[in-house]
Amino acid sequence: MTLVRHVEIMEKLEAYALGQLPEQDRRDVDAHLDACAVCTRELDALNTVLAGIGESVPAKTPPPALRSRVLEAIAKEPQDRPAPVPIAPARQPRRIQWALASLGVAAALLLAVGLLAFRSEQSRRQLAADVSQLQERNAELVERVQRYNGQADLALSILTAGDMREIPLTGQQSAANTAARAYWSATRGLLVVADRLPAPPLGRIYQVWVIENENKVTSSAGLLDAESPGRGFLIVTPPRAGAGGNVTVAISDEPPGGLPAPSGSIHLAGSI
Amino acid sequence: MDADVDVVMRVAAGDRDAVAELYDRHASRVLGLAYRIVQNSSDAEDVVQEVFSQAWRTAQAYRATRGTVAGWLLMMARTRAIDRVRSRQARHASVGDDHLDAVPSDSPAVPDQLIATEQAVQVREAMLELPAEQRTALELAYFEGLTHTEIAERLRTPLGTVKTRIRSALSALRRSVRS
Repeated sequence: MTLVRHVEIMEKLEAYALGQLPEQDRRDVDAHLDACAVCTRELDALNTVLAGIGESVPAKTPPPALRSRVLEAIAKEPQDRPAPVPIAPARQPRRIQWALASLGVAAALLLAVGLLAFRSEQSRRQLAADVSQLQERNAELVERVQRYNGQADLALSILTAGDMREIPLTGQQSAANTAARAYWSATRGLLVVADRLPAPPLGRIYQVWVIENENKVTSSAGLLDAESPGRGFLIVTPPRAGAGGNVTVAISDEPPGGLPAPSGSIHLAGSI
Repeated sequence: MDADVDVVMRVAAGDRDAVAELYDRHASRVLGLAYRIVQNSSDAEDVVQEVFSQAWRTAQAYRATRGTVAGWLLMMARTRAIDRVRSRQARHASVGDDHLDAVPSDSPAVPDQLIATEQAVQVREAMLELPAEQRTALELAYFEGLTHTEIAERLRTPLGTVKTRIRSALSALRRSVRS
């Protein structure tokens, strides 16, 4: 699952919990929930709050006849017989699955090393080299998982921050058809998601800026990650401690690696 | 084990007497919410019947780890009540005269076992502390089942503002339940 996909589902969870999503979006969220423990937990928390709203409505004593009507209705009704559901939780957090998969590979290889210990010195050396390569790969995978989880956690904390403001970003020039939005929390950070993003001019990259309108300070929030063609996203902690007031989020094209201050054309921008 | 969960497990096992118990424990709360949404007694009572029928049919799908029994029943009640209002609006094109009928306005005494959970008390208090515009937007979404776009039209407010209000309201309520 890509990170931007995960973030897109997080954006929809409230509408999902409120029953407001169109059928296709609802199915997308359902499919994601089957595989994602983080979003499932988030949804449970939302449902708890919504149940609290329902429970906070004053109760009303039902007329006595309603009880017999209900019981008569179910007397004639068979129960649904769903496919048996395993008792163990079906949803294993994906982050654990990843870690287990990569650890499993390393463990299997270590076992192979033990079994083949009697083999020639040469194949032993080869195996040792393979093990070390796999351990490196393992470490790399674990690091990627940690980075992914860290970014997903940050995205969620921005989306649920008390001071979060959603800022629609309007496309200029070639980005006129781009659908992009920023979520800004001065305490947690900035999340930017862009769809139908045109490729930047040749030899340029997209850089994201946070402009504090009152303080007249412009800070780089970082480079827009291009996860797949046409899709960009960025998840960062606040680019400047104490950044406050109304902000403008802008995306410009800059030379590779980015610059400390914007120099290229602005492609997308929006303000609180 | 939670007494509510115990009752639902018996319902799931096909025990019809347990439905009566479930009804006695929660019907007044389900009726309260249904009435708040459909605004008339006859429809609200139909919703109650539908909810307990659905609970009987689908009790096996209930997962205690995903929420309380009251939350499960109220979620069904909300969905069914909103569906009912929507189909009524589709029939009449406007809610008009069936908006209120002859129902005593004073709330009858609430049985002991239905005293609101601590969580509901926290949510209710937090709702009262919300800025009025956030509460209104959230109430339109929750009790009337309006989409963000419909709320924006109803309140003549930009869509982005409506989204922010609802999101902020839910965040504030979440914090109140957590703390």
